[in-house]
Amino acid sequence: MTERLILQNVMKRYGDKTAVNGVTLGVQEGEIYGLLGANGAGKTTTMRMVLGLIYPDEGSITYGGRPYGGDVQRMVGYLPEERGLYPKVKVSEQIIYLAKLRGMDGAEAEKNLKYWMNKFDADEYYDKRIEELSKGNQQKMGFIAAVVHRPQILILDEAFSGLDPVNVELLKLAVKELRDEGASILFSTHRMEHVEELCHNITILDRSNTVLQGDIREIKRGFPREQILLKTSAAVTGLESIPGVTGVEGDPEGYLIRISDEAAAVPVLTLAMGQSEVRHFEVKEPTLNQIFIRSVGERHE
Amino acid sequence: MNRLGTVIGFTFKNKVRTKSFVITTLLLALLITIGIHLPFIIQLFIGDDEGGANKIGIVADGSTEIAQQIEDYIAEVPDNNIEFVRMEDGGDTAALNEQAQAQDLAGYLLIVSAPPGPEGTQETFPQVQYVSDSGSIPADVQIVLQPALESAKTRFITEGALTDEQIAQLTTPVQLNAVSYDKTSDTGGGAADGSDDPFSPMDFITVYVLMTLFFFSAMLTGNMIASEVTSEKSSRVMEILITSVSPLTQMFGKVIGVFLIGLMQIGVLGVTIAINLMLPYNRDVMAGFDLDFSQLPVDVLIYGLIFYVLGYFLYALLFAAVGSIVSRTEDLGQAVMPLSMLSLAAFYIGIFSLNNADSLLMKISSFVPFTSPTTMIARIGLGEIAFWEIAVSLILLLLSIFFFGWLSAKIYRTGVLMYGKRPSLKELRKAMKAYKI
Repeated sequence: MTERLILQNVMKRYGDKTAVNGVTLGVQEGEIYGLLGANGAGKTTTMRMVLGLIYPDEGSITYGGRPYGGDVQRMVGYLPEERGLYPKVKVSEQIIYLAKLRGMDGAEAEKNLKYWMNKFDADEYYDKRIEELSKGNQQKMGFIAAVVHRPQILILDEAFSGLDPVNVELLKLAVKELRDEGASILFSTHRMEHVEELCHNITILDRSNTVLQGDIREIKRGFPREQILLKTSAAVTGLESIPGVTGVEGDPEGYLIRISDEAAAVPVLTLAMGQSEVRHFEVKEPTLNQIFIRSVGERHE
Repeated sequence: MNRLGTVIGFTFKNKVRTKSFVITTLLLALLITIGIHLPFIIQLFIGDDEGGANKIGIVADGSTEIAQQIEDYIAEVPDNNIEFVRMEDGGDTAALNEQAQAQDLAGYLLIVSAPPGPEGTQETFPQVQYVSDSGSIPADVQIVLQPALESAKTRFITEGALTDEQIAQLTTPVQLNAVSYDKTSDTGGGAADGSDDPFSPMDFITVYVLMTLFFFSAMLTGNMIASEVTSEKSSRVMEILITSVSPLTQMFGKVIGVFLIGLMQIGVLGVTIAINLMLPYNRDVMAGFDLDFSQLPVDVLIYGLIFYVLGYFLYALLFAAVGSIVSRTEDLGQAVMPLSMLSLAAFYIGIFSLNNADSLLMKISSFVPFTSPTTMIARIGLGEIAFWEIAVSLILLLLSIFFFGWLSAKIYRTGVLMYGKRPSLKELRKAMKAYKI
């Protein structure tokens, strides 16, 4: 697999404030790459640099081996965080217009638009104006506008925010479809479960610096397992006194046991089996949410 | 180039279909139609009274000689539509009023002899009153009556010392004709005879129309462009647009698209005027104004159009730049103020100097790019100008379009990324540096 979108040591300063400090990442063909970070960490600035809206002070960005240029504009699709479409223009007209601006011919744009409209169950909005649609539907139209010209590189800033669960699933499916067709997708969100589901590789930014980067599974492996989920048929006592256990919450329906050492898992299970029937025992992998809070949140304190 | 066409097409199509545009155009067309028909409509109303002739009573009150002179004078006026009816002086005004109404008169003239002065002084000319329903004299009646009375007065004072010709000469006003140098030299200094047409009203009208047209299209379309850009920015469509097309393409596409809309609007109004003037009953009215369209000064028109188009682009680019630094439409009015003032200045300098097209102010402002589109037209049409002056002014205008086009593109590129409050010039410059634009 080749990396289509490559950022090398990209740096951006606004005055004396550094917005992005040396970000390096690569997005392969057919990959969804997660770009995470707290508000103001530099995600949007990074994305804007990728889009050519602003130019990096240092470092380079290449698109399929080429630097930014007019032909790159045509292969990039962008869904901004505050999505925008013309409020008073018909959905079909403006999306075809945007596709034409990216170098697609009208007939093909119309075909693609119809395909996506059908996929999103939104055929009836074809001739409606954007201001007549609900917020969620406007968002779907924004997504279509970003992908209608079949971009090879797709940048999604908070693609799923403000959508109901049904629509989130629809959009997720669409993103996966694009990935399977070979698009390189740079994806930013605050919803860690989406990242876990969609992304292989992530970069976590914190105050303009990269704090974590790499394969999600490897990142998780690097973090200690600190929780045990235990479900039993009757109450279990004495869990707190096992060495390595730092806290116990919950009831027999589900104890959440915090441990400082993974070695405490075996004594916990033995104790539980001695007192009751064990229905479920799991040494939990840290969630991305926890990892995120650890790597970003702790530094904030 | 292809994408420029796409932007132009989209801008044009969407603007043309907006309600505001359709309504404005139709309203303007309607107003023009009414305006052109006004003389005809007025005639229609006048025509209702007595088949065109004004019947006016005249009460001599002893001064029958004066009354006779007035009648004689009026009878000799060509196209006279005043008809006099002698009325008997009943002594009191109430009876006269009744009599006038009974005979369906528009009004009557009451000649009141002044009381004889002390012995030896000359008798003074009697006072004349026009008595009517409304208590006012219609303008067309006054125009005829005034000289009639003056003539009668002259006759009264001179008491036959002058001949009729002398009196006629006395009462006609002196003609003061204005002729330019080259015309006098053409006719060998024969300016005074006034036989060669010294001043073409068509020149004046062309210049006036071009200036007004320029002012209105610069203002209207300029504001249209600025608000288009601002609304694109506030609806955040801008972020997608500038990642698709270069800002320069986008800006020029917008400017040209709106320009075409302006042209179309002018076209619609032009056709409206033409159709209205073609109507048979209006043709007579226009003939009355003594306009000859074959006198249309072609050179003024061509230069005018060149300056019009270039001037339009200069203003439109700046309006686009201003639109891009404003985030909300509410702030737009304030931001475009300097540009509005500038175009207003260009318009008024031109309009107020129409009769004085060679003044120093006009000479200077015809080289300033922002005012040259109006003042240069005035100088070409109504003043004295050398060809090199036109050329220099045109080159200056072109250069400034390139300069401000370049500057506007930079401002546009920066402005569309800046949200929040309207940035100051300093902030804008800083942002340009930060964004490396």
